[in-house]
Amino acid sequence: MAGLVMRTFPLSPNGSAAGSVLPKGQLIVTDLTARPRFGIKGPGSSAWLEAQRLSLPPVNRIAMQVGVRLLRLGSDDFLAVDEASGEAVANLVAAWQAEKGRRGYWSWREEGWSWMRLSGPLVEASMSRLCALDLRPGRFAEDAVAQTRVAHLEAVLVRSEEGFDVFFDIASTAFFIRTVTAAAKLADGDTTTRENHR
Amino acid sequence: MKLLDCPMNGPRNIDEFQSFGPLRQAPDADAAADAEWARHLFRADNRKGVVVEWWRHVPSNFFFLAQRDVVTNEIIRTYAPGSRP
Repeated sequence: MAGLVMRTFPLSPNGSAAGSVLPKGQLIVTDLTARPRFGIKGPGSSAWLEAQRLSLPPVNRIAMQVGVRLLRLGSDDFLAVDEASGEAVANLVAAWQAEKGRRGYWSWREEGWSWMRLSGPLVEASMSRLCALDLRPGRFAEDAVAQTRVAHLEAVLVRSEEGFDVFFDIASTAFFIRTVTAAAKLADGDTTTRENHR
Repeated sequence: MKLLDCPMNGPRNIDEFQSFGPLRQAPDADAAADAEWARHLFRADNRKGVVVEWWRHVPSNFFFLAQRDVVTNEIIRTYAPGSRP
């Protein structure tokens, strides 16, 4: 259709993970890849965000802003995540594109990363099989960011209201779903389950 | 599980890291002879004792330095480049 951009996501009918089925039982995996987010990194990105009146969190922490969760992944590496309409991130992108001075560079997190939300009664038990970090409530804070391995993949891990949000390489979406599905079955007591990546 | 203490991310499984070899001074580009360049590029020192090495925490792409005893494989300390060890 003229003028309409149809983006293809991994779980789209012709996407790279088209045949994958997201777990929906005791562990629920929700695909949020289509939701708006915006990442910038490199020299100038901190100063530019501060000029937008955003208060910057320390490295590996989250600052809750109006409409935006701002994740700091490095001294000059940021990801703005929009949980609501997308307006806050859209405004940020528009301001960044209009900037003529130093502003860092676009890190294409909305293109390069999948975004999956893990929730449900077995989320803690499943995560303990998927990630080596201590993610218990007292140890992994609400505003903490973990850059680590989840489901054998390099990932950015944060808490969400229902469980955890994971950002990882979009090309590995089918692998991630298979790994998480197996971990959920093992956490549910099915000891015969193995990861099957063939 | 062997742990390495990343200056930015804290203690993590050694599996999350990649080694980039010892920290070395590059030869003076104007003064160095060919033999000196060849040695710098193609030969490793491989000395016993404590070395300072570049390491990378892969998920965050953070590069840092680690002091390691290559005989005992003990990591003595890790620090960010630019900070004093």
